[in-house]
Amino acid sequence: MNRSIRSTSSLLFLTLFVLLAGGCTTTEIDEFRQGATSMSSDGSIVILGRRQNNNYETEGDFVNCVAGVVGSGKDGISVVPEREFLDAMFPFFEPRTAPMRTGHLKELMDMDVAATRMNEFGIQYIVWLDGITQRSQQAGSISCTIGPGGGGCFGFGTWQDDSNFEAEIWDLNTLDTVGSISTDAVGQSYMPALVVPIPLIARVEQNACSGLGNQLKQFINGGS
Amino acid sequence: MLRPLQQRAAHWITRRLPSAAIGRKLSLAGTALLGVLLASCAANTINISGSYPSPLVRKIPITVGVYYPEELRNFSFTEIDDYTGDDQYIVNSGETQIELFNTVLPALFENVVMLDSLENRSPELDAVFVPAIEEFQLGLPQKTKLKVYEVWVKYNMRLEEPEGEYIADWVMTAYGKSPTESFQSVDAGVQDATVVALRDLAASFTLGFSGIPEVNEWLAENSKL
Repeated sequence: MNRSIRSTSSLLFLTLFVLLAGGCTTTEIDEFRQGATSMSSDGSIVILGRRQNNNYETEGDFVNCVAGVVGSGKDGISVVPEREFLDAMFPFFEPRTAPMRTGHLKELMDMDVAATRMNEFGIQYIVWLDGITQRSQQAGSISCTIGPGGGGCFGFGTWQDDSNFEAEIWDLNTLDTVGSISTDAVGQSYMPALVVPIPLIARVEQNACSGLGNQLKQFINGGS
Repeated sequence: MLRPLQQRAAHWITRRLPSAAIGRKLSLAGTALLGVLLASCAANTINISGSYPSPLVRKIPITVGVYYPEELRNFSFTEIDDYTGDDQYIVNSGETQIELFNTVLPALFENVVMLDSLENRSPELDAVFVPAIEEFQLGLPQKTKLKVYEVWVKYNMRLEEPEGEYIADWVMTAYGKSPTESFQSVDAGVQDATVVALRDLAASFTLGFSGIPEVNEWLAENSKL
């Protein structure tokens, strides 16, 4: 009886330890402000992913995640969905035609059709998101077998995820950059397998998303 | 130990099924198995479909006749397996190419008239536009080792006078990529990358049409700019 309690408690301790270790994600956020910002009650913003790089493109899911964080809560900001904006402004924000600098934005806003459509949306700020989550330091191995008597896995796997994203904020009133926010989130994930694999995944991209989204909301609302 | 079991099974089969029925059942099973094996060897067909937004541009005040060649209407690309040399994927994009041009051209030109053949040219037309695909390339992650599906298309665009004389003939390229996702099928990856490539073509065609030197010159001569 005592032995059973001891082995159960040690198993619980081990699980708790690995869970705590698995949940460890470090998120660093840097903000650089170049101009004052504030939102009017009927104004909105749009968050767009940069997709002109050859090797990667900012994931639509991450852009939607940040938009969700910025648009939620008491101080939430109205965010125009990315796909709706891209279709309505077609062909000016496609990977090959999107303005890369505020100078290009000025040229775009000189075109009546583009300026009118932008005003219809009530866009005050455009936020450009650029970044990627990369996996590294993969180690360990897990082997699984199956037989007439049943099956199971044994082994241990670990990897590190690193999310690096930068948000650049353009003011549509001054047609200039008002600031940028960068985030770097790093986390180690583990996958011990004792008969059944137990995934202990570090929520790296989710942490980067919530950190960046909350900071962005604060920045645009005028806080520091 | 096994013998009585086999005997019992054979006795059960011969008692339950007459020999003709056994033959029929076996040949049916064989046909089904062969069908499954052949299906697993056949190339995977991907039919591209997509909807495209109407471009936000000022219309050029001209009436353009549009002719889609048969090769464009039924455009199909076959990706070959590097190891076996067999057809691996067949990408059918003709239908969606036509849908793209049918969305873009009426937004760019004041009037668009569809032509069944290049013989039926009305003198009321200002010009005749004929798009064609010259080359199509597919980049699959398992071959390129990149974490994206890629599609690259080379087009030849031709603008002619209603009488058939040359106005302009220019090459355009379109590129689209789609990041790989967990549990994503090849079909979905190729589909997304092709739609991005077609949007890319629509964007550069719309914004660049008047900038083609011969087109620009022709528009200026005809006071259409």
